[in-house]
Amino acid sequence: MSIPVYNYDKSRELYARAAKVIPSGIYGHQGPAEGCWIPVTSWPFFSERAKGSHFWDVDGNDFIDYMCAYGPNVLGYNDPDVDAAALEQLKKENCVTTPSKIMVEFAELLVDTVASADWAFFAKNGNDATSGAIMCARNATHRKKIIFVNGYYHGVSPWCQKVDYPGILPEEVANNLYVDWNDFDAFKKLVDENKGEIAAFIAQPYMHGNFTDNKAPAEGYWQKVRKLCTDEGIVLIIDDVRAGFRLDLAGSDHYYGFEADLICFCKALANGYNVSALCGKEWLQSAMSGLSYTGSYWMSAEPFAAGIACINKLKALDAPKLFRELGTKVTEGLKKAASENGFHLVVSGEPALFYLRIADDDSLMIHQDWVQECVHRGLYLTSHHNHFINASLTDEDINRTLEIAEDAFKAVRKRR
Amino acid sequence: MIDSRPDAKTLAYINLYGILGTLENLLELDPDARALLHNKKPITVAFDVKGGPKASITFAYGFCRMKDRIDECDIKLPFSSCEKFNGMIDGTVTPIPSKGFTHLGFLLKDFQDLTDRLTKYLRPDPKDLEDKKFFDISTSLMLYLIGVAIAQIGNNDEVGRFSASYIADGSILLGVKDGPAATIYCKNHRLLTLKKRTDDPRAFMEFDSIELARDLFDGKVNAVASIGTGLIRIGGLISMVDNVNRILDRVGLYLA
Repeated sequence: MSIPVYNYDKSRELYARAAKVIPSGIYGHQGPAEGCWIPVTSWPFFSERAKGSHFWDVDGNDFIDYMCAYGPNVLGYNDPDVDAAALEQLKKENCVTTPSKIMVEFAELLVDTVASADWAFFAKNGNDATSGAIMCARNATHRKKIIFVNGYYHGVSPWCQKVDYPGILPEEVANNLYVDWNDFDAFKKLVDENKGEIAAFIAQPYMHGNFTDNKAPAEGYWQKVRKLCTDEGIVLIIDDVRAGFRLDLAGSDHYYGFEADLICFCKALANGYNVSALCGKEWLQSAMSGLSYTGSYWMSAEPFAAGIACINKLKALDAPKLFRELGTKVTEGLKKAASENGFHLVVSGEPALFYLRIADDDSLMIHQDWVQECVHRGLYLTSHHNHFINASLTDEDINRTLEIAEDAFKAVRKRR
Repeated sequence: MIDSRPDAKTLAYINLYGILGTLENLLELDPDARALLHNKKPITVAFDVKGGPKASITFAYGFCRMKDRIDECDIKLPFSSCEKFNGMIDGTVTPIPSKGFTHLGFLLKDFQDLTDRLTKYLRPDPKDLEDKKFFDISTSLMLYLIGVAIAQIGNNDEVGRFSASYIADGSILLGVKDGPAATIYCKNHRLLTLKKRTDDPRAFMEFDSIELARDLFDGKVNAVASIGTGLIRIGGLISMVDNVNRILDRVGLYLA
């Protein structure tokens, strides 16, 4: 039976209002351009409420959401335990002249949880954590250059954008060097060519860039990188903003068998409450202390309470194991549905953050067509980005996911 | 460190392949331009820019075609630098032919009339744009010029080359729905624009109407907001569109 497609009249009306008073209507990754809503008519623009693995848009349409707010939804939207902890803290205090004592408790919890952490520094977004890490590395080493992996994303500050991005000066990215993922020889060559000049190597724990199949680290890659960084005095920064706590509660560096000098967390830290953390080794604590780096809301107490509740619940659930199992179940089902309809669906990356690509053309147009058919029927996927599993995903959700996916494959097959 | 300022060499490539190359389309679209060549003998003008582009344009039977070869020509215009050639385009340098003195009349009269007509379309008086026919020709020529400029910036400009280094092989369609289109082909990060539509692009960016295209060219509407309203459609390998857009951002630096 064919599943009906949604109507988005109210979303469209609201977007028309938004476009008048907000640049681009919806800017950034949650908007139609960067979000690759292809075609835009298949996507909802604004949500009204959310619960568990679902959100409902302003037209009342129900979506099973595999983007999880692009990561922050790790336990399920409106998780009762996290929300209760946050509300309880709000009754006591939130944004006050001196930080709440709960900041210390959260830092202690992270130091006890994250294998490579001797300290924790709090801010708001992943970009704050990665920017703090770069400043810390430069302060500690008194060096300028940073090595990035091609296809990287570490935030939106000028240092991590590119010379051809709007508003970026060549001077702001003049010390950026680039190397391909998993290419240790190229990395070593770059280090040799810039001996004594490289402050840091920043990378995600595995390659989960957009528009491309995600790639695990090659055997021994991280261990060789770790040794070279230690030998050459280069700070090894792991950007675990996206994958953090979904692969391993002790950090994704721990999952892949090495230790970062600095590790950045955000998305899964507090189930949607606004906090990020930079954790680091003891030898960098003084360098971090020396930075002029702070913000009006960075020490607000409510997200700390949410973060403590979130981490403790993730531990109680053994969430990384659960995410692997759920992700594998979803992706195996999607591959089967694709195959039964004559499509070749490639699944890459870790099951907790799976990336999808239909490999039957080289332009992604078939893939985009299938994704829009899914979204239009209530299964929220994207065509360009990895997806996220959250702990509230039920068997019923997965069954419905596969029903919609199957129906979407049939709709695409009919046209081709 | 990359120099992000516009450079004379890239501008010379845009001026030759983009501006003068658009004479081809002017003659196809505008009967009045074609009339300027009525009863004229075929003639080839070559442009030889030291340290820059080289090409010739053959005018025959009311149309013209640009070629990369400059060895067979009736008039040859050598330029000692890109700056000198750019000076001819903006009217501050008078070229002196090294060959074809007997054809100076074409250069001084017919060629001048054609380029004046082209300027009328490429730098239109707002009043002229009220005429739909003029509007369509002007906007089509702008689209072709921008399409060619993207390739020249991607191949020559330092920041443009950086953007092109991230473009995968294949074709990117830039066009108006049921209207003019250009296709940018990428091979090993070198770009080539053909001023026609491909049916099989690897990525595309399509404007809903020629009016929208004009508003975008004139900076009256925002491209990202137009994607939201569905007036600009994108698809395929979006990283190609992204990087072409970064080059597109620099077109204004050269054509302003």
